[in-house]
Amino acid sequence: MKYTILIFESIHNVLKAERIFEANHVTHEIIPMPKEISSDCGMAIRINSLVTNIERITDMLKKDKMDYQTFEKETE
Amino acid sequence: MKIVDAKGKLCPLPLIMTKKALSEIKENETLKVIIDNDISVQNIRRFVEEHGMKVQVNKNNNIYEILINKTGHIPDETKPEDYCPVGENKLSDFVVSVQRNRLGDGPEELGYILIKAFINTLPESELKPKTIIFMNSGILLTLKDSPVIDALKKLEQTGVDILVCGTCLDFYKKKEELGTGIISNMYEITERLSKAGNIIYP
Repeated sequence: MKYTILIFESIHNVLKAERIFEANHVTHEIIPMPKEISSDCGMAIRINSLVTNIERITDMLKKDKMDYQTFEKETE
Repeated sequence: MKIVDAKGKLCPLPLIMTKKALSEIKENETLKVIIDNDISVQNIRRFVEEHGMKVQVNKNNNIYEILINKTGHIPDETKPEDYCPVGENKLSDFVVSVQRNRLGDGPEELGYILIKAFINTLPESELKPKTIIFMNSGILLTLKDSPVIDALKKLEQTGVDILVCGTCLDFYKKKEELGTGIISNMYEITERLSKAGNIIYP
């Protein structure tokens, strides 16, 4: 599986992004902040990059002036 | 016929009991092992087939009867523990009881995101629950359109039992929309809770 993990500054931004994704029918998963990315408590959003077009997502977020970071992750 | 009752026993106990019983019967005699979980059935099958014996498995409800004809021999040095699943598919004996589709007492939005994250984390945990029970508004997380349906299906595939309260599904009129797990009743639910090692209430 190939995943793109979206990291936001605060949980409120995560919630906002979730609302945007839901309104646009984007398949996504709420996961805890991966340990390898940060030791801070928090949530992140995981997108399956084989299923969803990442550019479409980042465009959506940019349109709403949302700041975010992305990380790529591959698992079996 | 020698009968070994390994119900309620977790790996490697059923294998140890099977190995001992096999050493006590004569060649071509049949041993019956009674098991109540699919994982132990698969492990016993591998354990026994790798030593030249064939098994026949009969299933009745949740009870399996494994018939082994002693046409081979298990050496004393064989370690039954080697045939038990390690790591990825480790099931412990803890039960998760999800009684609402929120986690904690606070803003709804926060509670919702917390329960979603909690359930999505379970498939990647080293120790997975033996059973997850869903009751009251918790059942909404088991419906076909649930945001955590993939995680729950994945857990089911690794052997986790998912029990969903039938009364609750009925109340919400969502029986047809169940996406994972089996419909259960208070008897089974209280039985699982009382037999649990630990119970987690998220």
